[in-house]
Amino acid sequence: MDIFEKIKIMAGKDANEFLEGAIKNGKKAIGYFCSYVPEEIIHAAGFVPYRMRAIASGGTSRGDIYFSAINCTFVRHCFHKALQGDFGFLDGVIFMNGCDHTRRMYDNWRHADIKPDFRYMFVAPHVVNKTARKRFIDEIATFRQALSGHFGVQITDEALRESIRLYNRKRSLLAELYESRRQEILPIRGSELLNILMAVTMMPVEDSIALLEEVKNTIRGRAASSSGDVRIFLASGCVEEGEHLELIETCGGAIVADNICYGARHLDSIVDPAEDPIQGLAARYLDHVSCPRMIDDFRRRLDYLNCAIREYSADAVIAEKLKFCDLWGGEIYIIRKESKKRGFPVLALERELYGAGEGQIRTRLQAFFEQIRNRRAADQEMFKAAGNNYTVS
Amino acid sequence: MKKNKNWRPLRLLNLNRLLLSLVYIFSKFPRFSNAFMYLLRPLYEPVRETWLNRKLRYGFLTMGGGLLSPGEVKAYGYAAKAVLDNFNDVVRAHRRNRPIVWVEWILNAELCEAFDVVSFNSAALNVFGNIDGMATPSLLIEEAEKQGTPVEYCSAMKLDVGAYLLKQIPQPTVTIAGSHPCDTNVSVAQTIEYLTGVPSFVFDVPYWKDESSFAYTEEQIWDQIRFLEESLSRKIDWERLRDMLERVNKFNFYLGEICEMHKAVPCPGTMINLAFAWVVREINVRSPYALRMAEDLYRVVKGRYERGRGVVRREKVRVLLWFPPIAFFTYLFKWMEHEFGAVIVADFIGQVSTVQIDTSSRETMIRDLAKTQMYLAMGRQCHGPVEFITDEMERFFDAYRVDCMIFTGHQGCKHGWAAAKIIQDICKKRKMPALYLTIDIMDQRCLNEQGVRNEITAFFKSHGWA
Repeated sequence: MDIFEKIKIMAGKDANEFLEGAIKNGKKAIGYFCSYVPEEIIHAAGFVPYRMRAIASGGTSRGDIYFSAINCTFVRHCFHKALQGDFGFLDGVIFMNGCDHTRRMYDNWRHADIKPDFRYMFVAPHVVNKTARKRFIDEIATFRQALSGHFGVQITDEALRESIRLYNRKRSLLAELYESRRQEILPIRGSELLNILMAVTMMPVEDSIALLEEVKNTIRGRAASSSGDVRIFLASGCVEEGEHLELIETCGGAIVADNICYGARHLDSIVDPAEDPIQGLAARYLDHVSCPRMIDDFRRRLDYLNCAIREYSADAVIAEKLKFCDLWGGEIYIIRKESKKRGFPVLALERELYGAGEGQIRTRLQAFFEQIRNRRAADQEMFKAAGNNYTVS
Repeated sequence: MKKNKNWRPLRLLNLNRLLLSLVYIFSKFPRFSNAFMYLLRPLYEPVRETWLNRKLRYGFLTMGGGLLSPGEVKAYGYAAKAVLDNFNDVVRAHRRNRPIVWVEWILNAELCEAFDVVSFNSAALNVFGNIDGMATPSLLIEEAEKQGTPVEYCSAMKLDVGAYLLKQIPQPTVTIAGSHPCDTNVSVAQTIEYLTGVPSFVFDVPYWKDESSFAYTEEQIWDQIRFLEESLSRKIDWERLRDMLERVNKFNFYLGEICEMHKAVPCPGTMINLAFAWVVREINVRSPYALRMAEDLYRVVKGRYERGRGVVRREKVRVLLWFPPIAFFTYLFKWMEHEFGAVIVADFIGQVSTVQIDTSSRETMIRDLAKTQMYLAMGRQCHGPVEFITDEMERFFDAYRVDCMIFTGHQGCKHGWAAAKIIQDICKKRKMPALYLTIDIMDQRCLNEQGVRNEITAFFKSHGWA
């Protein structure tokens, strides 16, 4: 079994041997919900940050009692798992005001009185400016106090600096893997990278660094795509399923860049080690490539998209959303408008997390890729038709 | 549904100006207006909208269909005048190319007064779009969807986008937006900024309601002042702001008193007055007529309260209407009173519970303006944990001696529906009869007026109240 297969198995489960080992050794695991929650604080407290996920939920039936049919499948799956006791190994859960669906998770979790006892609402600003930065610094400091107060642990500046160093290392390694997809032939597929991110967000950072080093060594000289693949920028919110990205890849797509929760938003930029730890964390977590929940940042997201299309030679954009996600619905609207201005093709997909409809998505992907290939071919034909003796010597 | 509608720019706003002028003129003769509306009732109240009554039905029903007291009709006239003045200013500014500041709902538009610029609430047609007939809001929503706006958005915001795309509302110079009450707001603020291409100031509404959250909002208001000074190239006039805020204080005082009087049994006031006052507050609380409306409404309710009289002769049921009221069926309040003796004693948006603004210095004005912004109805309940919704609800159960609750479960409200189980459990625990409507408060295609009447009738019947 190669390393990617091993990681795929790890990513498909609630927990992996690294996490289980850490828990067995007396470490506490703390779940958190969003890319805006600073993992370093949790780690500096001596705990393992665990990114909450809907994987292996087996359905939404219990979650549907608390959430309605107009709530997204991510929260319904997650809450179903919580009610089933799938998160029983956690010692605390950090919620976030990421969107209307997830912020109500905090309320329903308390109402249903699901373990663990430490349930904390971490509040991130919706804007990126100086005033918000100050507020975010206070929020992170309050979070640090709450965590150390509840568990009776010290979170020293020294420990924070060490955590920052480790997470910076982890992010740099992830960024190296991410950026390796600039090459014409990808050494690592998008689905593989997603599996890696799923795995490393539920294990001690020390283990994840070792794993990433191993992956880095493995991909040298590897060819994971073919030259005819349509190079894709993927813009989306919650994508957990490696199989979904595999579907895009089997239809002839190669995901070269993204703005997804388990992607660029997790690994983009590092914390400045020279800064005061809390201020450095606030800067990194507020300034990383944003999610559409950040109201005043869509221009920067569009710049990021346009820049990634150029730098990663993306042929097209796939913009996805889960049903009933207003935030990504609006973002897709803007991306589509932008695509008309800039002339890049976009496929907008709406889907359910772990939902059916694979056949439909496949058909749409095939049609979309065919269009792009036709366009590419047409461009080449025009080139030929112009003759090959027109070049200026 | 009517197709190929005439979407001449600002047609809806102009139609509203015409009809609001008529309301204002008729309100000068409140007894006559009431008698007139009452006599004409057979043409619009029991029957649905027809080509004959299309332009007037919504207006007549919102004015109570002859069931409001003359004093209330007069107050509504002032309300109409306040809204009319704003629409006139907006149209004038649009024609003369003067600055128009879009201020999203549940934010303070008062600052615009201090800059002497016209503010416009981009959600104005949410309510006033109905004046053109019941199909119009749906057509605006459809237009937004046709252009790619997500269908699952709250229809209130889709309606704004549709109105903008069809040029029914004017191009802004700058916009002021906020991150509450829901994700649709967060998303539409970006869409609007992208489409209009104008500078925007965005409030990050804090999650909690504590001193640090107030301080954060206060800081943002200072940022907003700097933003407006830069964008409009003019300075804030603190004296104008002081005058304005003193009027707002009085406005809030009168409405707060009415809310208090609603606790009496029988209830001396009708909740549509307060819901309507919220709309006026959102659109043009700056107008002196808004204050006159509040004064007149206060006088009417106080009169009844002192005489120990209720708004209906025999009050049978006291109802809490929870979540936003139905924009296309404003007559719901008077219909329930008239038909069942059921009085809505409190609701989600009409309830005024805020602080008085200390106008003694610039600092105190901004500090308290921040608080009033966070206490504005809908924003106050929707921005934080579910307790902001349920605690107020439970408080009202007791304070207003409520017999039952009607939950207007708005289709696009994801966080509202995600809290429904908690609300249901509380009602169950307190043995509070509750009706959960699945409705789109802006779009009758989900559940129309007749459907609402049927569901409420069946609910009352099942509890022996009808």
